[in-house]
Amino acid sequence: MQKFLPSLVMAALSVALTGCLQSEQQDEQIVINKNPYPSTYKVLPLQTTLIKNATVLTGTGSRMDNADVLMVDGKINKVGKNLVADGAVEIDANGKWITPGIIDVHSHLGVYPSPSVESHSDGNEMSSPNTSEVWAEHSIWPQDPGFEAAREGGITTLQILPGSANLFGGRGVTLRNVPSPTMQGMKFPDAPYGLKMACGENPKRVYGARKILPSTRMGNMAGYRMAWAKATEYKHAWERYDADYAAGKNPIAPMRDIELDTLKGVLDGDILIHNHCYKAEEMAMMIDLGKEFNYDSGTFHHAIEAYKIADMLAENGNCAAMWPDWWGFKMEAYDMVHENVAIVDAVKNSCAVVHSDSASTIQRLNQEAGKVMYRANENGFDIKPELAITWITENAAKSIGLAEKTGSLEAGKNADVVIWNQNPFSVYAQAEQVFVDGAKVYDRFDEKYQAKSDFLLGQR
Amino acid sequence: MKHLKLFKSSLIALALASSSASFAESFAITHATIHTVTAQGVLEDATVVVEDGKVIAINPATVVADTIIDAQGKILTPGLIGSMNQLGLVEVGAVSRSRDAGDEKADITFDASLAFNPRSTVIPYSRKGGITSNVVAPHGGDDMFKGQTFVADLSGEFDSVRLSNNNVVIDLGAKSKGSRALALQKLQFELEDATKQLAKAKNTKSKKEAKEPSRQAQVINALLSGDKALVAYADRATDLLVLLQLKKQFSLDLVLVGAADAVLVAKEIADAEVPVVMAALDNLPSSFDSLHASLKNAAKLTAAGVDVVLTVNGDTHNLYQLRFHAGNAIANGLSRDAALASVTANVAEAFNLDSGTIAVGKTADLVLWSADPFELSTKVEHIWIAGKEYSTKSRQDALRDRYTSDSDMPKSYIK
Repeated sequence: MQKFLPSLVMAALSVALTGCLQSEQQDEQIVINKNPYPSTYKVLPLQTTLIKNATVLTGTGSRMDNADVLMVDGKINKVGKNLVADGAVEIDANGKWITPGIIDVHSHLGVYPSPSVESHSDGNEMSSPNTSEVWAEHSIWPQDPGFEAAREGGITTLQILPGSANLFGGRGVTLRNVPSPTMQGMKFPDAPYGLKMACGENPKRVYGARKILPSTRMGNMAGYRMAWAKATEYKHAWERYDADYAAGKNPIAPMRDIELDTLKGVLDGDILIHNHCYKAEEMAMMIDLGKEFNYDSGTFHHAIEAYKIADMLAENGNCAAMWPDWWGFKMEAYDMVHENVAIVDAVKNSCAVVHSDSASTIQRLNQEAGKVMYRANENGFDIKPELAITWITENAAKSIGLAEKTGSLEAGKNADVVIWNQNPFSVYAQAEQVFVDGAKVYDRFDEKYQAKSDFLLGQR
Repeated sequence: MKHLKLFKSSLIALALASSSASFAESFAITHATIHTVTAQGVLEDATVVVEDGKVIAINPATVVADTIIDAQGKILTPGLIGSMNQLGLVEVGAVSRSRDAGDEKADITFDASLAFNPRSTVIPYSRKGGITSNVVAPHGGDDMFKGQTFVADLSGEFDSVRLSNNNVVIDLGAKSKGSRALALQKLQFELEDATKQLAKAKNTKSKKEAKEPSRQAQVINALLSGDKALVAYADRATDLLVLLQLKKQFSLDLVLVGAADAVLVAKEIADAEVPVVMAALDNLPSSFDSLHASLKNAAKLTAAGVDVVLTVNGDTHNLYQLRFHAGNAIANGLSRDAALASVTANVAEAFNLDSGTIAVGKTADLVLWSADPFELSTKVEHIWIAGKEYSTKSRQDALRDRYTSDSDMPKSYIK
C-alpha cells in the first residue's frame, strides 16, 4: 500500500516515525560472544575412590585426624570417619595427609615455558601500555614440561597470566592441570577471566625507555584512568544499543573493540582484576581507582607491602597474593617480611594467598606456605597447618572466582585432592597421588600416571 | 668430661662476651650433637672448644674455657657456605648503582672483592639461613673469563673478605650469538700458548733477564700451576667432557658449575675428581643444554662418586634458602650426611677454604640449630663466625615488629 503514497509524504512519515517504522525491520541483534574459545576439558577416567585413615586438612580451616575422603562422580561426596562405599577403590592413607588440590593464582607456565628459548617468549605483549586485547590463552604451549612438574607438586588448578610490562597486560586464563594437546582441553570450564594489570616499576620502565607514557608512577595512574574513562563510554554505548534494541528500535551497534571488550567485561563484573602491585601506597590508589570507575580492584599480586595496609585490604575485600621470601630484586620488593601473609591473614574478612610466579616454586607451594607459618610462629603468631593450607587452596580459589567449585574438601565440590606422604609443610613432603575432578592425574609410584610432555619424549 | 664442674652461661652472658670481641676469649659448646662433616662423623653429647676464632679441641679430657654454652643435645654443624652468587656486590637487583658484580671491560684479572659491601642488608638476612661464609663470583663482562672469585664471611665486619682473587671464573656453553666452539677453542689456545711461553721463559732465563708476564698471563699461569682453580659454568654433557679433557691435558684444578646434564657423564666427572656446583631445585629443561635437569641429580651424582656442592640459583637474596634446597635434595634421594657435606665440607674442598668442617685447627664457623637443620620449621639459634657470635636479626625483623605493634601515632614513630 505504501507504494501508492506520494514520495514526499513518504519522506515526511519516515522522518516522523523513524522508531516505529524501524521496529518492524530490526536487524539481528549484535551480541558479543563472551566465550569464543570454550573449554573442551574432559575429566580423565575415574572411579569411585575412598581414601582412608589420613590426616585431612579440609581447606576450610579445619583438620580431621584418622579421617576418610570419599570421591564419587568427580565430586567430594563426604569427609568423615569410618566411611564405607560399595565398589569404591580404597586407598590406605594411614600416616599420610590429604589436602585439597593446590591452586596457583599466578603462573606463566605455557606462556613462558621450558625450554625458555626466544621462540617461546610469549608472555608479555610489550608493544603498548594497554594491551587488554591480548589473551594469555592464545599463547599457551600445552607441552610445557612445567605443567608435569607442577602436577607432581600437587597443583590441580592454575591461573596463567600475561606478564607485567604493561598497565593492562591482557586476559589471564584458568587451567586444570591435566595434559592436553590443546589449550581448550585444559581450560577450567566456566572459570571467570582475569585481567592482568601492573603497577609500579615495570610499565614505567618499559615505556619510559621509549619516551612514551607512562614514564613515571603518575603516568601509570593517568594511563589507567584514561583507559577506564574510554571503557566506561564503550560500556554506555553498548548499553544504549541494547536498550534501544530492546525497545524495538533498530540501532547501529557500536564499533566492536577487542581491547575495550575486556575492560567492559571488568566493568560488567564478569572479569576479575589481577593486579601486579607491590607497594602499600600504590595498592591504596588502585583501590580508589576501582571506586572511581566502579569496578572491583580484585587481587593484588606480589603484594610485598600488604602487611602495611592489611586492614584496608580486608575492608575493601581485596585478596593479596604473596611470596614468603622473595625480595630485593627491585626497590618495590625491598620491604619484604617473612610474616607478610600471616599479618594479612590475621585481619577479619581477609583473603591471604600464597602464589608462585615461578615455574620452580609452583612445584613447592606447600613449602612456600610452610615457610610463612614457621617464621610467623617464631614471631608471635600461632598458625596451624589447617589455616596455612587455606592460603594455597580456599583463598586462592576465592581470588580467581572459583570458590564454589574447588579449593576445599566439602561435599559437592570438585574432587581435587592431593595425598601427601607426610605433613605437607615439611621440606621432605612429597605429593604421592593427585586427583582432578576425582580422576587420578599423578601417582608417584605408578608410571601409568606420570605424564611426559611431547617435548621431552625421546630426548636422550 | 661429664664429671667436670661446668658452669652454664646464660645467653645474655654469651652475647656480652662476644660483643666485647676479645679474641683471646674462649668458649666451649657442651652437650651438642656435633656433625663434624669429617671422618669422625656425628658425635653425640659432645664438646667443642673455640679460642681465638679457631676450634682448638673436640671432646677434650678437661674443658677449659671462659664461657660454656650448654647445647642441650641440639645439633651443631659447621656454618653453611654459599657459593657462586653476588652477595655484597648487589644490594637491589634493579638499582644499577647498587650493582658491582660486573663491568663490560672486566677480564680474567677482575677483582670484585674491592667492591664488597659487608653492610649489605642481604648479609644479616642470610645469617638466618645459617650461612657463615660465601664464595662470591663476579658476573664479569664481555670476555669469557668473568674475573676471579673471592671469599667473604658473613660477619658484616669491614674485614670480612677472607680471600681475594681465589679462582678464575669462565662462562662456557650455549651462546645466543655465535658458537660455543669458539670459546672452548680459545680456552684451549690460551692454555697452550701459556704453556709454551712458560717453557720458553724457562729455557731463556739464563741468557737474559726474563720479561715479566702480563697480569692476564700471570693468572693463566696460576691456573697451569694449580694455584687457582678454573671454575667453569657449563651445562651440556659435551661441554663438560671438553673441560675434563682440558683438565687432564693441562693438569688443571677444575670446578664445574651448573652442569645440568652432568648426570650423563657422571662417571667421567667422578673419575676426574672434579666437584660439581649445582642448584638442587633446577629440574626443568630450561634449555637444550639442560634436558636432564632433575630433583634427583644431586643424589645421582653423589652416588656416582662426584663431590656435589649445592648452591642457590639466581638472585643472591635467596641465599638463606640453601638449607631448604639441601632438604629437598634429601627428599629426592640424597643422604642427610651427603646433603650437609654439600653445603659445608664439599664447598670448602672445592674452593680451598679453611672452614666447612668441625675439626681442630679449623676456623670456628658454627651453627647451633633448634632442630633438623634442613627442615622448614627449624631456625638458627646461634651462629658463630670465626669464633664470634652474631645476631640473626635483620631489617625485615624490624619492619615486622613495626607493623605488628600498636600505636596511636603513625608506624614511623615505632623504632
